[in-house]
Amino acid sequence: MMRAKLLRFTPMALITLAIAAGPLFIDDRYLLKVLTFVAINVVIVTGMALLFGYAGQISMGHAAFYGIGAYASGYATTTLGLPWIVGLFAAIVFSAVGGVLLALPSLRLKGHYLAMATLGFGELMKIAFIEAQPITGGPDGLGGIPYPRIGSFEMAAPVGTYLLAWGIAGLVLLLVRNVVTQRPGRAMRALHGSELGAMACGIDIVGLKVRVFTVSAVLAGIAGSLYAHLVGFVSPSTFSLHLSVILIAMAVVGGSGSLAGPAIAATLLTLVPFADAIIPGLSRDALALIQDWEADVYGLIIILVMLFAPGGVSGFMRRRRAVARDAS
Amino acid sequence: MSLLEVRDVTRRFGGLTAVDNVSFDVHEGSIKAIIGPNGAGKSTLFNVLTGFDQPCEGTVSFKGSELTGERPHKVVLRGVARTFQNTQLFEEMTALENVLVGRHARTKTGFLAAALRLPGTRSEERLARQEAERLLRLVGLEEWSESPAADMPHGLRRLLEIARALATGPTLMLLDEPAAGLNNSETSRLADALYRIRDAGVTLVVVEHDMGLVMEISDEIVVLDRGSKIAEGPPRLIQKDPEVLRAYLGQEADDE
Repeated sequence: MMRAKLLRFTPMALITLAIAAGPLFIDDRYLLKVLTFVAINVVIVTGMALLFGYAGQISMGHAAFYGIGAYASGYATTTLGLPWIVGLFAAIVFSAVGGVLLALPSLRLKGHYLAMATLGFGELMKIAFIEAQPITGGPDGLGGIPYPRIGSFEMAAPVGTYLLAWGIAGLVLLLVRNVVTQRPGRAMRALHGSELGAMACGIDIVGLKVRVFTVSAVLAGIAGSLYAHLVGFVSPSTFSLHLSVILIAMAVVGGSGSLAGPAIAATLLTLVPFADAIIPGLSRDALALIQDWEADVYGLIIILVMLFAPGGVSGFMRRRRAVARDAS
Repeated sequence: MSLLEVRDVTRRFGGLTAVDNVSFDVHEGSIKAIIGPNGAGKSTLFNVLTGFDQPCEGTVSFKGSELTGERPHKVVLRGVARTFQNTQLFEEMTALENVLVGRHARTKTGFLAAALRLPGTRSEERLARQEAERLLRLVGLEEWSESPAADMPHGLRRLLEIARALATGPTLMLLDEPAAGLNNSETSRLADALYRIRDAGVTLVVVEHDMGLVMEISDEIVVLDRGSKIAEGPPRLIQKDPEVLRAYLGQEADDE
């Protein structure tokens, strides 16, 4: 019992320690910034994992919540001059409202139709970001967003934002893990398995869908806020369908019914366009090639995963564990 | 005392009257069967009784208060559980997890409480697990506890769905063709489980095609034909009822 527990928690503890100690042995500012993006994407993909991998719902408009979070946080801290923590709070509130709104079509639509409705929501919000010029700065974007700061303690890039983003990612993973392993997580998996069966078990599927959409929207909003304060500048082109598709790719490659799978997939896929940060000596031409073909690389990865590893990263890990169990 | 009162229930789909002015009572502690040829309106009636569908006219009362108009999950909370003709299990979840989902109605841990592991969530989880394990033993599925529902043989899947319905803590349980696709030994195993469930204080309503099983287990039978109730009474009277023989058993004989 003790040993089993130790075996289960040791890898988690080691990973946590390695991430926390990252800035001590990485002195490459660029790499730290890239790894901060990884943390931000882990936060957003955890929300996608809840929605897609556990509850079986799809959203092709999640970039919109990322944008809502980024603009809410950016507007609050620049134009209104409010503290960072208020900006983060605004990001949470506005993305939650957006999540409830997006949940409404999900109550009547399924599968492809839900995908289309959420796609429409994403495009609508993108136009709103461009048109709401007084708030968002329109196509020119919103600049001068300060680093996160509590009182006189500033979390500047790259080390401060790195630790903040990973701290939040770790907290999010921990809290969401508690949700998925208990009653609400089972209800989500039940919803995925059979809506009729879920209703017959006394699950209020309407309320559950609204909750799941809202939580995943809030996680995207938090990620958006982190992004805005890390980069200092937000513009509408970031929150495109392209981003929504990448998020879905991360969730699909990660596999369903798992948090670790999508987190690993998010890490790997985030690193693709920044390959030069992890592969020293990668030529400029090779990097440009990868970046030009980024969307195709993602597409290819999705196709390969669908063909050869339908369970994604999590399915692969489950099979490895099953093999290890049978062998012992 | 009658636990469930069905009064003048009518359900039309466009020009088709699937259930036509049907009334009957279900008494506490009894097993009631609803029989009738294919297309008699049994499944539609079942959906109306459990909130999955609403009647065009008429009412359904449970324990003296109206059930009509309640959404399905509320009906479950009131103490009415059901199974499906085509089993609606959660295929990727284990047998134990399926039954645990059934405990949803009787547990409280929400998103926030679960995320923060608030006091009480852990003990609630432990109690739910104990209850789920007990119910798996009741239907004889304890050995399958860790198997995904998708891997279980058909006959056992029906028992699993019954265990899951029991986990919701029902006073009344409606089973939609529980013996469909079962062989003889599985059917007798089902009959044993149904007796045990009734003896545990759960009233049963069973829609069933297997006449042997219906005649053996039910206290009373309602016979539907083309949406209307044509007879109601204990098995030995139903077997002799000329109307039933003509409309139902006659047709059954033609089929075979």
